[in-house]
Amino acid sequence: MYSDRVLMQVRNLTVDYVGDHSVARAVNGIDFDIREGEAFGLAGESGCGKSTVAFALARLTRLPGLVSGGEVRLNGEDVLKFDKARLKAYRWNEVSFVFQSAMNALNPVIPVSEQIMDVIETHQPDLGAEGARKRASELFDLVGIPSRRLDDYPHQFSGGMRQRICIAIALALQPRLIIMDEPTTALDVVVQRDIIEQIVELKGRLGFSVLFITHDLGLMIEFCDRIGVMYSGELVEVAPAEAILTNPRHPYTRALGNSFPPLIGPRLRMEGIPGTPPDLRSLPEGCRFAPRCPHAMDVCRSVAPELRAYPELRSEAACHLLN
Amino acid sequence: MIYILRRVAFYLAAFFVAVTLNFFIPRIMPGDPSARIIASFQGRLNDAQVEAIRASYGTTGSLWEQYIGYVGQVLRMDFGISTVQFPEPTSSLLFYGATWTLVLVGIAITLAFLIGTMMGIHAAWNRGGFFDSVFTPINVMLNAFTPAVVALLLFYAFSLQLQWFPLGRAHSTGLVPSWDPQFIGNVLYHATLPVLSILIVSFGGWHLGMRNVMINLLNEDFVILARAKGLSDRRIRYRYVARNAILPQITSLALSVGFLLGGALVTEQVFNYPGLGKFTVTAIESRDYSFIQAQLLLLTMSALVANLLSDIANVILDPRLRKG
Amino acid sequence: MADITHTPPLTLLDRLDEAAIASAAPSQAELMRELRIKGRPGWTSKLPPSLAAFVTNPKGMTGVIVLLGLILFALLGPVFSEYNPQRRAGKPHVAPGYEHVMGTTRMGKDVYTQLAYGGRMSLAVGFGAGLAAALIGLAVGISAGYFGGRIDDVLTFLVNVVLVLPGLPLIIVIASLVDSAGPLVIGIVLALTGWGWPARTIRTQTMSLRTREFILAAELMGEKKWRIILKEIFPNMLSFFMGGLVLGTIAAILAEAALSFIGLGDSNAVTWGTMLYWAQNNMALQVGAWWEIWPPAIAIMLTGAALVMINFAVDEITNPQLKASRKIGRIRRFLARRGRSADVF
Repeated sequence: MYSDRVLMQVRNLTVDYVGDHSVARAVNGIDFDIREGEAFGLAGESGCGKSTVAFALARLTRLPGLVSGGEVRLNGEDVLKFDKARLKAYRWNEVSFVFQSAMNALNPVIPVSEQIMDVIETHQPDLGAEGARKRASELFDLVGIPSRRLDDYPHQFSGGMRQRICIAIALALQPRLIIMDEPTTALDVVVQRDIIEQIVELKGRLGFSVLFITHDLGLMIEFCDRIGVMYSGELVEVAPAEAILTNPRHPYTRALGNSFPPLIGPRLRMEGIPGTPPDLRSLPEGCRFAPRCPHAMDVCRSVAPELRAYPELRSEAACHLLN
Repeated sequence: MIYILRRVAFYLAAFFVAVTLNFFIPRIMPGDPSARIIASFQGRLNDAQVEAIRASYGTTGSLWEQYIGYVGQVLRMDFGISTVQFPEPTSSLLFYGATWTLVLVGIAITLAFLIGTMMGIHAAWNRGGFFDSVFTPINVMLNAFTPAVVALLLFYAFSLQLQWFPLGRAHSTGLVPSWDPQFIGNVLYHATLPVLSILIVSFGGWHLGMRNVMINLLNEDFVILARAKGLSDRRIRYRYVARNAILPQITSLALSVGFLLGGALVTEQVFNYPGLGKFTVTAIESRDYSFIQAQLLLLTMSALVANLLSDIANVILDPRLRKG
Repeated sequence: MADITHTPPLTLLDRLDEAAIASAAPSQAELMRELRIKGRPGWTSKLPPSLAAFVTNPKGMTGVIVLLGLILFALLGPVFSEYNPQRRAGKPHVAPGYEHVMGTTRMGKDVYTQLAYGGRMSLAVGFGAGLAAALIGLAVGISAGYFGGRIDDVLTFLVNVVLVLPGLPLIIVIASLVDSAGPLVIGIVLALTGWGWPARTIRTQTMSLRTREFILAAELMGEKKWRIILKEIFPNMLSFFMGGLVLGTIAAILAEAALSFIGLGDSNAVTWGTMLYWAQNNMALQVGAWWEIWPPAIAIMLTGAALVMINFAVDEITNPQLKASRKIGRIRRFLARRGRSADVF
């Protein structure tokens, strides 16, 4: 399904939120790879920094956020160092984005045709308006919306249709990576299914990679090839989706798995994770999960564990328990 | 369409409130209104003038009958006879003054809106930069300067000292109003300083309004998506951000019309400009109540029409309002 | 769907190549130093957060200091004067000097004394009318937003009427019917016509607050409505109330000046507006008596400017996005030093 060729390498990525009187470290030096054609998921509680990572990869970090260190490499080039011209070519040609709320992601006062055509006309000017419109109606066909509705305004579509339009826009230039930040959270369950199936089908056909973010671990395990679990701005475990489900290594992953109902099988009791994540403005020494971890040892409170590969377990995890 | 009809119904109701206020305010003051008004002239009125006042404050019949009569007069645009410029009908004075005020306020409000909005777009886009840090506070402070002072200073500097501009009037005496370029040029020449003084105290509001709405919009998903799409700065700025930020500005524009018409009062007084404000000041000095009341109704009407126009503009610009 | 057969993951050493290590972020403390962010001053820690944000806001505090200076001048200024603001104190149009610090008017009244007494009146009218308008706006806005339904319909109609009716012409009608509109009458009328904006803002804010969990929880627990309004909603409206108060005060001070200037006020009262009125009537600028016109003009402008500064601070507190832009320059330089393009948005 996916190759071993790495599309994007994220190294030592650090993102801070600059406050009036403090700096909150939302993402703390994380490393991971996204491979060609794979669906890579980022999981974690809200506020763990997963969306912040997604925005940093797309060079969309905005105030008061600041990517204060690290590299995001695409074929060896550092995305974070792109100048204006290179950045323009990077955007949408190589990475596109699907937002959580399709209602907010579409400009309410201009027709959707314009919102598809403008990106095509910007990046492929020789296609002309005529060609861009033709391409736009092809994209509508691709996501199953009648192209006669091209000139309608966003509010004239249903929630599911709007999200399909956003997907059509994301596919406009056939990018190699599509970042999907909670693409189905705002939709009801039935529509959610349809959309996910459609993404799976399009992904199989067009071969793009996906960075998938959701708080719904069940959905993520079903859709993604590999999953990175984030806690308080750090990656605590990266493993194939199946391993996350059947053989989680990190205590936090285990706790997270328990706090979601399984998709199949009997509904088990949902366990919340006791405690709250640390204050990102003044982080504790040692492992950030230690205060909430049922297995915390003395070493956990003084030395921060690093993400290490455990080939025999087919996973990477950052936990002293595994040594 | 239903939206517009609802708004029209509201404006009619609001106009009715203004008419009713106009009717009752003089009557809740102690004593017979016409007698009070006549008394304030201390016998300087002739019989015809006394009769005119009696008629317009008709104290015959029950309060209800008086009210109906008053509403009828208003609807016929019959505001009685001016007691100062006797026997001119108040309405003809009113419309003469309104024409010149419209010239003044029309030019000033358009310029202020355009200049302020463009500056606001620029400041929001380069927020935290030099232009934003220096001109945003300065422009908004100008907004809090009293028009009286600004007008006096301009008048003193450019009319009295440097003598670049005339000392008053809407056009040179001896010129006959017409549409020829010479006359229009003359009118603009006379309007320059009054327009400038209204402009100086009003464009800062548009600057700040546009800037703040734009900055909030920069956080909207559709703007972030536009950035992610790699669209040109220009396109994002105008087609995605300013295009949406202009909608609340248009609503504020309409709401400010009433305020600006009131503000023109001071400017016209300083520059001796024959507009509604100048006539109103004269009417105040000579207690010409029929004129004072009529100017309120006329300005209310203008404000309501401005609001209706802004509603129509909003329907044209915002597809979400168009359905139904 | 997950493909199980794949290459082993990279090791830690593969990851942390030299480039990745070189690009590491500074620590939080270093970053704060580089961006010149100072920790919260200790003495503000006991204050409520929005107040603490206000007292550490340079624009807001500048405004407060200037305004306090003006108020102090109005309160204490008369103490240093032996003259009566309404009586002849010297020859007409005496230039500023030892006898008359700011000179005299055409009527020979002492400008300094008038300025101080006038400040009392103008500031009292301005703040009184602004406060009253903001209070009416608060009451109407919270009621409309919280109770909804019929009450909201009626109140919203009233708010919209007050907003579309032109205020100044209405004041002229009322003031011209009263024999001489003293500062009190003008203040009351300004308060009655100026509450539309704060009411509208506070209604919108209350409506969005109304559906929040802590309000719903309080309702479910059977808390009395007026207690919910007082304990849960009112504290959240304080900054919007402050905004309404500041803007209302600016509007009232300007309107008072305008009304007095066109001769609608009681011309015997001493306010900054009537001082301008007399200066204009006496052709002060034409005869070169600049000291008759500048003091009230500057006083009004300073008050306006100070209130605008305070309003900037209130805006930044109610709308954090506005404040973030202050740091944009430092963030640009931070990125430039690291060879990274700065498309800060």
